[in-house]
Amino acid sequence: MSAFGPGSSAGLLQRLRPSRIDLADLLDVVSAVLPGLAGPQVRVELVRRPSAGSALLVEEDERTLRVDLADLADDMTRAGVAPTPDGMTAALHSWVAHRPVADASAAAAGIAVLDWADAARAAVGWRVVVRRGDLTLPWVPVPGTAPGQLAPTRSAAMGRSGEVELAFHVEGPVALWSHPSMPVLATTVLVAPERLLGRVTDAGLPVDDVHVVVTPHRPVACAGRSVAARLAGESSEASVTLPWERVADLPWL
Amino acid sequence: MSAMPTGEAGVQVLVPHWLASPERVQLATAVRAALGNPAVHPVAALHLEDVLTELHVAAARDAVWPASAARVRLATGWDADVLPVRLSVAELTAVLALCALPHGLRDRLCVAGA
Repeated sequence: MSAFGPGSSAGLLQRLRPSRIDLADLLDVVSAVLPGLAGPQVRVELVRRPSAGSALLVEEDERTLRVDLADLADDMTRAGVAPTPDGMTAALHSWVAHRPVADASAAAAGIAVLDWADAARAAVGWRVVVRRGDLTLPWVPVPGTAPGQLAPTRSAAMGRSGEVELAFHVEGPVALWSHPSMPVLATTVLVAPERLLGRVTDAGLPVDDVHVVVTPHRPVACAGRSVAARLAGESSEASVTLPWERVADLPWL
Repeated sequence: MSAMPTGEAGVQVLVPHWLASPERVQLATAVRAALGNPAVHPVAALHLEDVLTELHVAAARDAVWPASAARVRLATGWDADVLPVRLSVAELTAVLALCALPHGLRDRLCVAGA
């Protein structure tokens, strides 16, 4: 899904021959909807530069996102946004909603989840995300921030993860945790591995050599080593399988 | 930390058999009945136990990663309850040799990868 929301997920034909978002039309729409894009902590400004073209600026606390309107129009075209006022308005709201997460938001509402540690999808680590409407967005600490300054936000996020309500399901020797509306939150079960093991015990499953199978944004599976290997080894999807005790040692991203 | 090796289940090739929900129930019923036979060799019994495990794991696999099976169903027109049940040669051999299977299910299992 693009930053312009699910409504922009164009069909194949439209992706091959997308309808172009006209810059002048986009400028008209931005001018009309600008006041509605801002929020209590969010400032949205249209910067008009006669020589360099217009730019859209979004600010929330220490975070700033700036894009040339011409680039935004091209991005919308590529994403298959409908070249109508309604289509562009929805895309603008979605673009603002995808703005970077500010430190204060992460401190106040962050939730710890597991995410891919790299593009190769061979390892996972903890990350703080923030719910924003139907979205969950990652908090990326400003480079160079001292670890001591990150710790309170991360610790509070771990605490909130322990309060996330998840669906629990047992499929034979496999225990499964999922979130009904935000799949990324399924891994919150792993902030308290001992509690996870307790649920496995309560479900009557063997607790010897318990492993977890993690694919960020997918349900979390938990089973004995051989069953976990059979589960993950026969899937073409990327995943990480590790003993439950090692979950606590996973790094922050 | 990296993805764990596939271990004991991974050293053998598991071949997918695409079975609908009623067929998976038939297979589980037949395997359980065979396991109730005290004459079944212990090694064969282990293979049959692994078949029961796989029937659960197949459902769990689809719950965690539904997209890949969904793509196959879309391409083939199969119903939404059709899942790949992945069996080793030893497991399939034990099933075919020791289980009383309905003819249709036996025919499906005899076609590798079907």
